[in-house]
Amino acid sequence: MATTVAEHTTAVTTPARGRSRVPLPAKLRRGGWYRAALFDVLGLGFAVGITALLRFVNHQHPVIDGHAITTVALFSVPVFFLLGLGAFDYWLYWASGRPTRPETHEDHGAHSWRDYFRVNPDHKVIGIQYTVTSFFFLFVGGMLAMLIRAQLAKPGMNFLTPEEFNGVFSVHASLLIFVFVIPVFAGLANFVLPLMIGAPDMAFPRLNALSYWLLPIGGLMMLASFLAPGGSFATGWTAYAPLSTDMPIGQLFFSIGVQFAGFSSIFTALNFLVTIITMRAPGMSFFRLPLLVWANFATSLLVVIATPFIASSQFFILLDSALHFNFFNAFVGPHTNGNVLMYQHIFWFYSHPAVYIMMLPGFGIISEVIAVNARKPIFGYRMMAFSLIAIVVLGFTVWAHHMFVSGMQPWIRIPMMVTTAIISVPTGIKIFSWLATLWRGVLHMSTQMLFALGFITMFTLGGISGVMLAMVPFDIHVSQTYFIVAHIHYVLFGGSLFTIFAGVYHWFPKMTGRMLDERLGRLHFWSTFIFFNLTFGPMHYIGLLGMPRRVYSYSAQFAGWNLFISICSFFLGLTFLIFLWNIVASWRHGPRAAGNPWRALSLEWQVSSPPPIFNFETIPTVVGGPYEYGVPGAVHGVFKPPAEARRPSAVAVARE
Amino acid sequence: MESASVTHAEHHGPPPAHRSSRVEPPVLGMVLFIISEIMIFGAFFTAYFFIRVVTHDPWPAPGTKIPEAATGINTAILLVSSLTIHWALVSIKRGNRFGLKAGMVLTFLLGLTFLFLQVNEYVHLGWAPRDSAQATIFYSLTGLHGAHVFVGLCALLMVTIRSFRGHYSPEHHQGMEVPGIYWHFVDGMWIVVYTALYVL
Ligand code: HEM
Ligand SMILES: [Cu+2]
Repeated sequence: MATTVAEHTTAVTTPARGRSRVPLPAKLRRGGWYRAALFDVLGLGFAVGITALLRFVNHQHPVIDGHAITTVALFSVPVFFLLGLGAFDYWLYWASGRPTRPETHEDHGAHSWRDYFRVNPDHKVIGIQYTVTSFFFLFVGGMLAMLIRAQLAKPGMNFLTPEEFNGVFSVHASLLIFVFVIPVFAGLANFVLPLMIGAPDMAFPRLNALSYWLLPIGGLMMLASFLAPGGSFATGWTAYAPLSTDMPIGQLFFSIGVQFAGFSSIFTALNFLVTIITMRAPGMSFFRLPLLVWANFATSLLVVIATPFIASSQFFILLDSALHFNFFNAFVGPHTNGNVLMYQHIFWFYSHPAVYIMMLPGFGIISEVIAVNARKPIFGYRMMAFSLIAIVVLGFTVWAHHMFVSGMQPWIRIPMMVTTAIISVPTGIKIFSWLATLWRGVLHMSTQMLFALGFITMFTLGGISGVMLAMVPFDIHVSQTYFIVAHIHYVLFGGSLFTIFAGVYHWFPKMTGRMLDERLGRLHFWSTFIFFNLTFGPMHYIGLLGMPRRVYSYSAQFAGWNLFISICSFFLGLTFLIFLWNIVASWRHGPRAAGNPWRALSLEWQVSSPPPIFNFETIPTVVGGPYEYGVPGAVHGVFKPPAEARRPSAVAVARE
Repeated sequence: MESASVTHAEHHGPPPAHRSSRVEPPVLGMVLFIISEIMIFGAFFTAYFFIRVVTHDPWPAPGTKIPEAATGINTAILLVSSLTIHWALVSIKRGNRFGLKAGMVLTFLLGLTFLFLQVNEYVHLGWAPRDSAQATIFYSLTGLHGAHVFVGLCALLMVTIRSFRGHYSPEHHQGMEVPGIYWHFVDGMWIVVYTALYVL
């Protein structure tokens, strides 16, 4: 029976049928960059043709219309690009009933840098593709932040025009949320999660490759909006209607870019869920899963359920602005019975769960890092797992706390205030569990541990400002001020980004086979930690004083603090160069990493660094929990079939 | 499924993954995908709810009519297609290749008829999405569903081609079962859409 893992691909995504029979040079016939370039031209031609046809049929003149072509091309060019690159090849063969090429696994793994630039089904390659791509967008987004702070250095600054300023902060937020924080977690998990559960790959490797290639498309599209006539989208990452429905064409780059990023994360989440449910090693029960796996399980549930809402909300925007639908058309003129608040409800029904999509995988990373570096079992492992699930459920009940001042029915605020206060309970459980794990541990102050401890303190502060915001009277006072900016950055920078750094420092040896420089790492942590607080801490204060967010200038009374913040933020920007230097230099010349440099128990550390091309020679058997650090003779997994693995004393692969 | 038999002597691949659940991965993947799809419809129904219930406007918009009877027939057509695809599945499980092929062709044709009648209805309604919010959500929901019928038809077409090319057997028919699940979802969703837009 030849039903290999790779065979389990569903026929969901096969938009085009049939292939041309015109003889073409081999380079153009095989999937790859040449064919992708050719197909891009075809995609553009498709957009021109279809819009001209439709406008002709509808008696609209002229038939060639740049706005319409751009709208269609933003969909068709990327899809044709993926076709050309070969992301759909296998499915097309399969769908047409032709024999699929025998599974030689030739395309598996990376033998040279070129293999990172093609459709590669290996989860380890995809993990690195994902991580590197998202870090690219982190640096671009960070650069935009520098522009924001330059404009805000003193009141009445003319560094950017007001329109440019709006565009810059909108793209900044969109890049960092949709193509950095969310996918970088998917990237790290792509690399380590199959190893952790003892699987040779993800459940749907080709779907995984497709998910990756959707990501740079979404990010580059948002970035390319700067080139659009009328400037980039300037409505913030929230794109409230009806502001966004009568914006210049740059807005479409957001509405459509989000679709690509969104489907990328939906497919990855689906892949994680199926992998975790069906491909765990023997003995790996749910309560023996490392918490990183639990965290990604919870996150993936959120993604599968919530992300369709933002996809739909942006479709509404698209239909309203391109085809003059009336979803949000509610103010002047005839036919104005659309509903504007509906946008905010749908948007936040996604975007509040999305803040947990941006946080839960980080919780998982912190649990790994703290248990390994404190050499102690996680305190209250089961409560950690249950609190994740509690957050998933409660996360869907609090969305309107973003709408306290929106003019919705006032009574909705009360239940939302209560649920928002309740959701901080499972979050608090996690903080206390980490603290109890640290208690009397033998702390190894590695860089990743420093970032983990930094995370706990900073995220706690962000959580406290969050609970303050949950209180309606207080929120009415500070809504739309810099207090919100402070909250966001304490949870997303001090929270999510710190966990990402911790994860990178932790798994870099596994991913690249090289060790990072600890001294540079420590310098990176302390400089980031200090300048982060100096930059975002004062924002609480000026927010309370009433400085509004999302404005390109401000009253003179805030001048002093803003200059201080801007200067600190430039230093904060510089700290990223330390990190970049550390990564580049260590990847090229760092000392070779052993298989298990941190003496960790979980399975990914029991194979070489970087792992062998198919992860394991034989699938390991799990015989104990993943966190039994300091327990004499504790074993998590052994490379033996289940029947022989019963006695843990037999050649243990992982021993404290 | 049955085509890619790999029996190279030197074949080197990953160790087979341990199966930790009785659920088939493609089935589970399809179920999760359908959950996402349901949420897409959920967002559209939220818009419907706001326009119809919260704004409290008359339904349908004054001066327009919704042809619930004609579409009722169309609904029946789609429901029958769920039965025919089920028949195709039962047939191949029993090794009846004729039943498989006939069932698939019938399902495909019924689905195509549905889509055709739906487009026909659009052409004859006499009002456009830009006329009112009610028209907007009417076209959006039916259009969203129509797009799903279209995707479903593409999948059905592939399954039909493959069944004529001799694929599927009583042991291996997952390749048709999984698109079948999707088709049942498309049908089921239509009942909800029809009830909300036409009947209520
Ligand atoms: C204890 C947990 C938390 C509570 C109680 C909380 C509460 C709130 C509230 C009430 C607001 C609305 C403020 C307003 O606009 O007037 C808000 C905004 C926000 N929160 Fe949180 N939050 C929590 C954790 C988080 C986490 C973990 C993240 C992300 C990782 C996050 C990201 C955001 C963002 C991005 C906004 C601003 C959205 C915008 O208007 O652009 N929050 N939070
Ligand atoms: Cu929220």
